[in-house]
Amino acid sequence: MARDFSINRLPGFASVAILTFFLLYLPIFTLVVFSFNEAASMSRWEGFSLKWYEAAFQNRQVRDVSIRSLWLAATAASFATILATLAALGTTRTSKFKGQTMIYALINQPLMVPEIVTGVALLIFFAAIKVQTGYTGMGYLVAAHTAFCIPFAYLPIRARLETMDNTLEIAAADLYAGPIKTFVHITLPLLLPGIFAGLMLGFVISLDAVVITEFVKSAGQDTLPTYMLGQLRRVVTPEMNAIATLFLLLSVLAVTIFFVLSRKRA
Amino acid sequence: MDDMAGNKTEQATEIKETPKRHLWNWILCAPALTVLVFAASGPLLIVLVYSFLAPGSFGGITWSFSLEGWFRVFFSRDIFDPEIVSLNTAHLTIFWRSISLSLQTTIICAILGFPTAWFIATRPQHTRNIWLFLITIPFWTNLLIRTFAIQEVIRNQGLINTTLIRFGFIDTPIQMMYTDFAIFLGMAYVFLPLMVLPLYAAMDKLDIRYLEAGYDLYASRWQVLRHIILPLVKPGFIAGSILVFIPSIGAYVTPRLLGGGRSMMLGNLIELQFGQGRNWPLGSALALTMLVLVVGALVLYIRTVNREEEPRHG
Amino acid sequence: MTATQGIGSPATDKGPAIEIEIRNLSKVFGDGPRAFKALDDIQLDIRQGEFFTLLGPSGCGKTTLLRLIAGFEQPSSGLLQINGKAVAGLGPNRRPVNTVFQNYALFPHMTLAENIGFGLKMLGKSRSEVASTTQEMLKLVKMDAMADRKPAQISGGQQQRIALARALAPRPRVLLLDEPLSALDLKLRKEMQVELKRLQLETGITFVFVTHDQEEALTMSDRIAVISGGQVLQMGTPHEIYNFPAERFVADFIGDTNFIDAEIVQYEGDFAQVRLPGGVVREASLPEGFNARVGETVTVVIRPEHASLTERGDLQATVENAVFFGTDTHIHLRLEDQTPFILRRQNTGVSVAPPEAGQHACIAVAEGGIQVLRS
Repeated sequence: MARDFSINRLPGFASVAILTFFLLYLPIFTLVVFSFNEAASMSRWEGFSLKWYEAAFQNRQVRDVSIRSLWLAATAASFATILATLAALGTTRTSKFKGQTMIYALINQPLMVPEIVTGVALLIFFAAIKVQTGYTGMGYLVAAHTAFCIPFAYLPIRARLETMDNTLEIAAADLYAGPIKTFVHITLPLLLPGIFAGLMLGFVISLDAVVITEFVKSAGQDTLPTYMLGQLRRVVTPEMNAIATLFLLLSVLAVTIFFVLSRKRA
Repeated sequence: MDDMAGNKTEQATEIKETPKRHLWNWILCAPALTVLVFAASGPLLIVLVYSFLAPGSFGGITWSFSLEGWFRVFFSRDIFDPEIVSLNTAHLTIFWRSISLSLQTTIICAILGFPTAWFIATRPQHTRNIWLFLITIPFWTNLLIRTFAIQEVIRNQGLINTTLIRFGFIDTPIQMMYTDFAIFLGMAYVFLPLMVLPLYAAMDKLDIRYLEAGYDLYASRWQVLRHIILPLVKPGFIAGSILVFIPSIGAYVTPRLLGGGRSMMLGNLIELQFGQGRNWPLGSALALTMLVLVVGALVLYIRTVNREEEPRHG
Repeated sequence: MTATQGIGSPATDKGPAIEIEIRNLSKVFGDGPRAFKALDDIQLDIRQGEFFTLLGPSGCGKTTLLRLIAGFEQPSSGLLQINGKAVAGLGPNRRPVNTVFQNYALFPHMTLAENIGFGLKMLGKSRSEVASTTQEMLKLVKMDAMADRKPAQISGGQQQRIALARALAPRPRVLLLDEPLSALDLKLRKEMQVELKRLQLETGITFVFVTHDQEEALTMSDRIAVISGGQVLQMGTPHEIYNFPAERFVADFIGDTNFIDAEIVQYEGDFAQVRLPGGVVREASLPEGFNARVGETVTVVIRPEHASLTERGDLQATVENAVFFGTDTHIHLRLEDQTPFILRRQNTGVSVAPPEAGQHACIAVAEGGIQVLRS
């Protein structure tokens, strides 16, 4: 063996890692490839076709649930980001205060509690409200998704705030900027990448939230994930692959933006 | 200068800054906390209340105190004579399956995740971000889609079976769907990044000089791995294990799609009580049982972490 | 901000006017048993247009004092006046004072020009005034070619200049500098010392400079306040501080020093006759307000460069070793009572051989080179 000694190398590790990456991407790759399959069956490849995409686009129900999903994700992520930004400003760069631990616990609670438990809890709670008020609109889904997205939006914003040099704000005050001007000219612009990353993360999380949606939705409020969950129990055609592929693309896009933003240094 | 002396007392102001500033903290947190209490934490308390009530005949509850919900988590009554009580073996089987599959998932994720994280951590800086990105992508893509993707691979007409049949290894497809193995595979697949990321974070902080010192002092590769790397990345292992174990215990989508009706996990059992079962108090009690398992795992985690840190501080 | 000249400069006949007046100023952090007194009853007058340095080791309270003047912190008690006006309770944005931060604190999302113009913009100056002053400031610090760059794109020394320009642009009455040179390498630091002095003379603005570097303080300042443990130990010109340290801490912190026990034989006014170890009696200067008693043992200070080796000296010693420094040689000796003594000899010619270890030597102290310390 003429191989030089390398401090980092552990025998077999690279092979396992490559195998892991392969296994990780094989199913996704299969899913995408078969969305372009001519055949209705997914057992063999019969040539390239876009017909399943066409079918998906012409499927009125798919269009409806997709629009609802996007609207819900955009709304919930926006609310969650605003609330998380305020909360992050309220919990960072401060001396310890009474109740701080409780605030952290509340904010991070959706991360700890299994989605099914939250889903069940919301089902019970909202069912009672629905009976009392008669309101069955999208408000429940927006509230549930907003609450679920808050910890995810909070993380990058808080991280950004904590690494932010607070002498910059002191410097602004020294140069005659009052608290509001300091926030507008210094804090907010510097925080913006964090806020945007939080927004992207919230968006992806809301798009992903299937269990909570399943339990909270009223009749006719299917989102793309709950629609897919229902369809996947039946016979699956490559139309599902096409929908999943488009969905995947959207998530990858959002994650890429998040990745780029969160890596950007102050 | 003497005329200034009179100002002294006037200037000697005690400025109490803390209480006022913390009011602002609360004001800033209030909107988020309101939403969280309304749509996340508060409803959990209602679940607690419901678990101690009697079921309504078509779902829901009737407002009378009852321990029946909690009782039925572990025991069942004879259909003809409710006085005859036996252990609810169906539930216990599901509990066991949930815990056992979650542990198996955690172990396989650790076995595959460690070399993967090491591989990423030892890449040169510019390619490392690409590998990291590649592991992050599945992490943030829809769990449902990933479960669907693995379903496509292990179905009877899926990638594995058709390939094996085409090359003549087997004649009839291997039944993988709707088994415990399918759930295990699916969970390992969807939760693997949760193990890799904290392990990577721990390895990223690992000082290469420790390894150099180890080799310098005549350790073999195995000994360096065993005595230097593993102890130093242990916090990453612990964090990764908890991150995989908790969603595994709470899994609902993966067992529903890959396990079907026969191989249920706790999440599906809970859902059942709010669907066909129409026993909300039992469902609530089961949900809280799951929560206890999760909190138990978290407490164990925090204790382990604290114990790990103590000697270093002491 | 500059309209209230009247009250602040009432005393043209009493020497230079006072820019910053500090009386009984204290600052306590925390409360209860964990309270920490960062500043303890400070009295200080900083004159208009002078280069004033707060010198002390880290944690002595000098930065806290600067932050109180800037308005980043509020005093626990005492009086603080800038240009004759009490500023207690005023935020930093309402004080005619600007700061050059230790890490510069340049806004990373703004260009250099935007950074410099920020203060003027906040003061509501017209767009044209902001632009012209910014240009002027860029020229002043010789950075006008780089106006549109971002802070991350320039070197540390250049960032330093921009930080200066930004703080000077609003034409503050006082410029506060918090160890601004500590992040620079030695060569750049020397350059910036000259540059700072030039800017101070050109603008006529009062500079309050915080440093722990005694050499920096000596070379740049008009006056120095030596601070330790939250108190001002001594205030004076560099010459006074160096040659007539009043306390052991000041003498020790600034330059190399020999401490020797001596006995007061007699005294009059600012001077005393002291008996050095070995019996020789010499004249020594007394610190201000020193209450001397005949027969009392005091500590005296002798700077290494004020002593020389002679045939018949004031002190008898044994040579321990000699360390060659190029321009001069440090000779380590031990007096007969085992007190260590360092002597600095300038290497005026190449042929001067260092004394050998173990050799007996006589030390002569220059006229006026002995200072009694407050005990």
